[in-house]
Amino acid sequence: MSALLEVKNLSVDYITLNGAVRAVDDVSFSIEEEQSMGLAGESGCGKSTIAYSLMRLHRPPALIADGSIKLGGRDIIKMGEEELRQFRWDQISMVFQSAMNCLNPVVKLEKQFFEIYKNHGITKNRQEARARAEKLIEIVGIPKERLNDYPHQFSGGMRQRAVIAMALALKPKLLIMDEPTTALDTVVQREILQRVYELKKELKFSILFITHDLSLMMEFCDNVSIMYAGKIVEQAPAQTILKNPQHPYSYGLKNSFPSLHGDIGYMEGIPGSPLNMSRIPRGCRFQDRCFRAQDICFKEVPPRQQRGNDFYDCHNPMGTLTGSRN
Amino acid sequence: MNYIFKRLGFYLIAFVAAVTINFFIPRLMPGDPVQMYMAKLYQTSGKIDAETIAAVEKLFGFSKTKPIIESYFEYVGSIFQGNWGFSFSQYPLTVIQALTRGLSWTVFLMGTSLIISFLINNLLGIVAAWRRGSKLDSFLTVGGQLMANIPAVVLALLISYTFARSEKFGIFPAGYAVTPLFRPANVLQYIGDVAYHAFLPVTCIVMLQLNGIMGMRANMINQLGEDFIAMGRAKGVPEYKLMISYGARNALLPVATTLAMQIGFMLGGSLIIEVVFNYPGLGKVMIGALDSRDYPLMQGILLMSTILMLSANFIADMMLLILDPRLRKQGR
Repeated sequence: MSALLEVKNLSVDYITLNGAVRAVDDVSFSIEEEQSMGLAGESGCGKSTIAYSLMRLHRPPALIADGSIKLGGRDIIKMGEEELRQFRWDQISMVFQSAMNCLNPVVKLEKQFFEIYKNHGITKNRQEARARAEKLIEIVGIPKERLNDYPHQFSGGMRQRAVIAMALALKPKLLIMDEPTTALDTVVQREILQRVYELKKELKFSILFITHDLSLMMEFCDNVSIMYAGKIVEQAPAQTILKNPQHPYSYGLKNSFPSLHGDIGYMEGIPGSPLNMSRIPRGCRFQDRCFRAQDICFKEVPPRQQRGNDFYDCHNPMGTLTGSRN
Repeated sequence: MNYIFKRLGFYLIAFVAAVTINFFIPRLMPGDPVQMYMAKLYQTSGKIDAETIAAVEKLFGFSKTKPIIESYFEYVGSIFQGNWGFSFSQYPLTVIQALTRGLSWTVFLMGTSLIISFLINNLLGIVAAWRRGSKLDSFLTVGGQLMANIPAVVLALLISYTFARSEKFGIFPAGYAVTPLFRPANVLQYIGDVAYHAFLPVTCIVMLQLNGIMGMRANMINQLGEDFIAMGRAKGVPEYKLMISYGARNALLPVATTLAMQIGFMLGGSLIIEVVFNYPGLGKVMIGALDSRDYPLMQGILLMSTILMLSANFIADMMLLILDPRLRKQGR
């Protein structure tokens, strides 16, 4: 297996009146073929900014300041407009955060499928596009007659599945799911995600799964990266994060969500609120909210502790003393 | 279909309400129009007998002897039959006859200005939103805001003085909808003459409506922030298509509703424009009616304005129905 997506030293700035705010700071990660990686963190930590950057969908005032994003060897940052337009959806597609609102409300579903084929030069024939769309939409469990309907005539879950069907229309190599099920109830959530993972086996694509729901992520992802304030603070296989997280933030995040299986215990949560990105303190970014913070955390940026592909940035890691359920 | 009938029903109720108000207001006012007319008649012919009084009462639908409810239903009935009574001031003419000429000019003036300003405002609004923050955007935003705050009468006088009445630039006519006593050789010549006379008033109204740019710009900016725009871009939809069929198409929906309201304001504003440009529209007829206390004509104008408003609303509803699929299946 080789790396499909390689992100190196990616930094994304938001230009504001008071200068640039670095929303994503020197982030590197890679996703291998047919692998699924999870990206977790609180709202505003830069997860979606990363997702948008991978397709270069970010709009001003966001700006990629540094780094490289390579998919199958092609550098996305160096692409021209037209090349980029052809590349999007064909190689990387995305299920958006509020997939409920990402269908054009005044256009029939059939035509929204047709646009994908037409704009990528697959077919200009409506019948042929229709046949392809019918196949796709049945894969996600929507009757093909419903292609004649407008988005508002579908339920939230159905719209979500329709968007997933669209995302798979050109058989992309990477599917980004940016909090795809946040607006849905837990039963529908699992149903949809399971279907996606069945399709992943069938169509052999990789997944970047973005969420703040760690327990959901643990079930569906091979590797997990935990993000805090624009940086990836820990990266490890899902099981390691679940059983033996090293960074106190990972630990806190894990304990903020009830597990899908097992007993319901007291949820600890993380004190404080996310870091104001325009005022980054000296030392560790998590210092104010960390229950294990020491003097050094306020002075020096924590060094990276690397073990193969896994790493964490912490002065005072959790170590092995804490089990997953204490 | 169901939706259309629902709207039509609503408009019928609104119309009947307007007719009712129209019926009662003159009757609640101090003074009696019939008496007033009698006085006028007395001054001119000197002698009035009971028969004449009865005839006049019948003519104007005013009667002291009949119960008010009965005359109300008679009034409503005659309105629907197209019998709106006679004009006091232009006596042999019926109200409808007295209205029609002015009405057609006003509808022409309003319709033309509305279409032009709709096109200009929305086009500029779309472009301003698409290039948000650019020089063009700031220029349009400030310009639109400026225009919105000039009083109609000031702009109208300014334009009229500069381009119709001044020696140097007065290349446009200072009044009328067509050249008086003009015998056009063919239709084209007639159209040309009408356009020549309508140019200044239409320009003036269009300029006064320029603040519509702001509305469209705001709608468009809202739409451009929606996720389906990002998804459209991700799907590979070209930029110009994103602007038109993704952004503008959705941003137009609320504008279509305000269009109907705009017509109401325009009818009010047309009064000033018509007076300044001496344009023989409904506004001029209205002022004439007010001057001569021509109650039936005033009522007729109010009623006509109601009908205009309601039809404009209905057209806007139908436009929405075409533009917004979410409304189409409502009756199901």
